[in-house]
Amino acid sequence: MGLAWTPVPEPGKAGVGVADPARAGRRRLGALLQREHVLGYLLVLPALVLLAGLVAYPFLMALWLSLTDSVVGRPGSFVGIRNYVSLVMTDEIFRRALRNSFLFTGTAVVVKTVLGICLALLLARKLRLKKLIRGAVLLPWVIPTALSTLGWWWMFDSLYSVINWTLLRLGLIHERLQWLGTPHLAMGAVITVNVWRGLPFFAITILAGLIAINPELYEAAESDGAGAWARFWHVTLPLLRPVLAVVVLFSTILTFADFNIVYVLTRGGPVNSTHLFATLAYQVGLQAGRIAEGSAIALFMFPILPLIVYGQLHYDRLDL
Amino acid sequence: MNPITRREFVNHAATGAAGLAGILLSRTPPAFGQKREVTMLGWSHFVPESDKKLKELVDKFSKEAGVTARADHVPNVQLAAKQAAEVQTHAGHDLMMFYNEQGWRHRDSLVDLDDVVGELTKKYGGDIYPFCKDAFFMNGHWKVLESAWPAVPGNYLQSKFREVGEGPPDTWADLLRAGKKLKKIGSPVGIQISHCFDAGSTFWSVCWSYGAKVTEADGKTIAISSPKMAEVIEYYKELYASAMEPDVLSWDDSGNNRCINAGHCAWIHNPVSPYAVAVARKLPIADDLNHHSTPGGPAGRFFAPNARGYGIWKFSKNVDLAKDLLRFLYREDNFSEWIQASAGFNHPMWRSWEKHPVWNSDPKLKLLPAEGAFGRMRGWPAPPGDVFGAIDDLHILPDMLAKAIGGMPTKDATAWATDQVKRVLDTTRS
Repeated sequence: MGLAWTPVPEPGKAGVGVADPARAGRRRLGALLQREHVLGYLLVLPALVLLAGLVAYPFLMALWLSLTDSVVGRPGSFVGIRNYVSLVMTDEIFRRALRNSFLFTGTAVVVKTVLGICLALLLARKLRLKKLIRGAVLLPWVIPTALSTLGWWWMFDSLYSVINWTLLRLGLIHERLQWLGTPHLAMGAVITVNVWRGLPFFAITILAGLIAINPELYEAAESDGAGAWARFWHVTLPLLRPVLAVVVLFSTILTFADFNIVYVLTRGGPVNSTHLFATLAYQVGLQAGRIAEGSAIALFMFPILPLIVYGQLHYDRLDL
Repeated sequence: MNPITRREFVNHAATGAAGLAGILLSRTPPAFGQKREVTMLGWSHFVPESDKKLKELVDKFSKEAGVTARADHVPNVQLAAKQAAEVQTHAGHDLMMFYNEQGWRHRDSLVDLDDVVGELTKKYGGDIYPFCKDAFFMNGHWKVLESAWPAVPGNYLQSKFREVGEGPPDTWADLLRAGKKLKKIGSPVGIQISHCFDAGSTFWSVCWSYGAKVTEADGKTIAISSPKMAEVIEYYKELYASAMEPDVLSWDDSGNNRCINAGHCAWIHNPVSPYAVAVARKLPIADDLNHHSTPGGPAGRFFAPNARGYGIWKFSKNVDLAKDLLRFLYREDNFSEWIQASAGFNHPMWRSWEKHPVWNSDPKLKLLPAEGAFGRMRGWPAPPGDVFGAIDDLHILPDMLAKAIGGMPTKDATAWATDQVKRVLDTTRS
């Protein structure tokens, strides 16, 4: 293909140098902005900058810190994966936090799923003051976590616990239970608060899924002689599965990375028995100043969560 | 109103973004936003009147100096994280509070305060409590100006001790004897064995009194697995089983305060904040509450004061103004008012302030200044440094006790603590 030759006009000749360069620049910019793909990228750019600044930069920074021997306020030198190896091989508290994270997440998500389905089925029924009740159910989800957990802290307080007071008055216990001072009870307490807080999210989302189920399916099942349990098992549950998968996925991620509830209630105690990744990372990295080790603890969540997500999506055969 | 065109929107957004980027890159606010401002961050005082007085003094400074000054507060357990966040980002307050050895951790990021401390020492005398110097004088320079070292006496309910025929305990052994009787009448002893500062304070006191230590004087050789430490653990186990209630495993720093002010606990090891709060709020328990010197043991009488003070970040843009604020707060009249408001909780590092009337106005506070003789920096006899701050922040020592109380053999509990302290020594640079 031959190239067409265009003569280059000399400066000062007609049409060159006489026109306002600013206007020409604006015209070029205008023409550029008229192109949809250019404008599209430009409009997405602020979001990309924000994501890079608020997600990618801290993540890469944490990754770098975890590969050094930094302490707060002082740069460290590169030590490779020494922090990770040391945590897994020699740190008993970290291993406890690892176990706790799975126990906390597994138990809380299962309980929230079961109770969430029950609550959604209840809310789907024809009730008086339905809208008010549905609104009230959302309250634990709406109140700031730190604030509501403080309320629970008082309820679990060794001296003033209203739960102990009630159980004692009912004669169900004979001495005060140390809700936050006994490892198993403390773990039970933090799971309870997490369930209380996360239940509305499950119930309302599952309710939306329930409402979307075609009533004719129930009528058909009923005419085939299916009882209440059979209808739930063969109609409701299979049709709720996509909704459940999404809710469980979100909840697993949020519960695994929980911080507020454990920090306010127990600060990881007693004897580190309720530490999760986030609370241990905070204690080691920020409170004790061993920021490299703290970053490594926090980043342990990173490979685990995608694995959980992949496993769950694979199991549910969702192509998200 | 004319609708904005796409081109105008893009132009305005680009101009705004460029302006914001310029401000962020140059880290200089626009001229109309500039104002001389100095800010300080400290803990939320256990005697709230002290924070009120501080605010009053800071407001007074604002007016006198014609600047904006502000004192912010966070719970003491959050202070270390705030320090870390500010020093990592090089942004935040000008003045920051540091506890015990926290200042050592950040010493490279702190301005020398030799000039301010020098001026004040000329005025208040050179006799300074050694533990304050250990905490705040680093490698030949004052990095933190002490604002308070609270004595940690025994706080006890006189009526309960009378009821069981005991006087205020002089030693930890006396406390155990009295505690057994007190628990039987439903008024236990309360010492935290949990993730909080007070748990560490009392541990050090008992540890030193029995002649135990965490490291040798070199600060490097771990000395936890010793017969004396075993004695300390056995003491705690017996005290827990026969004189305390399991609550202590979950208490925070205010747990023991609430227990004695509720009239439930008969004895706690704490600064005088429960009494100060009881007096300020006119609680009837104030008449019954009294104090006695921190208990002693076979090796002597000791306690670990939570000494705290303010340092100035090197990244502060108002170093001179921040120093002026310190000079103002430590001016004799202002400082005196601040101590008075804290009801004797805030003890200065200069011994000359022992003559302040607050400690003579109330016979229940009279013993406090003399307690300074028993104070040691955490980690003693090891030299001061940031290692023991980390040990404290990780709650290793209270966890060692809790493990033993929970049934772990004493030998295993000390081995666990040795391993944890070794990790700190390996990963924390002094």
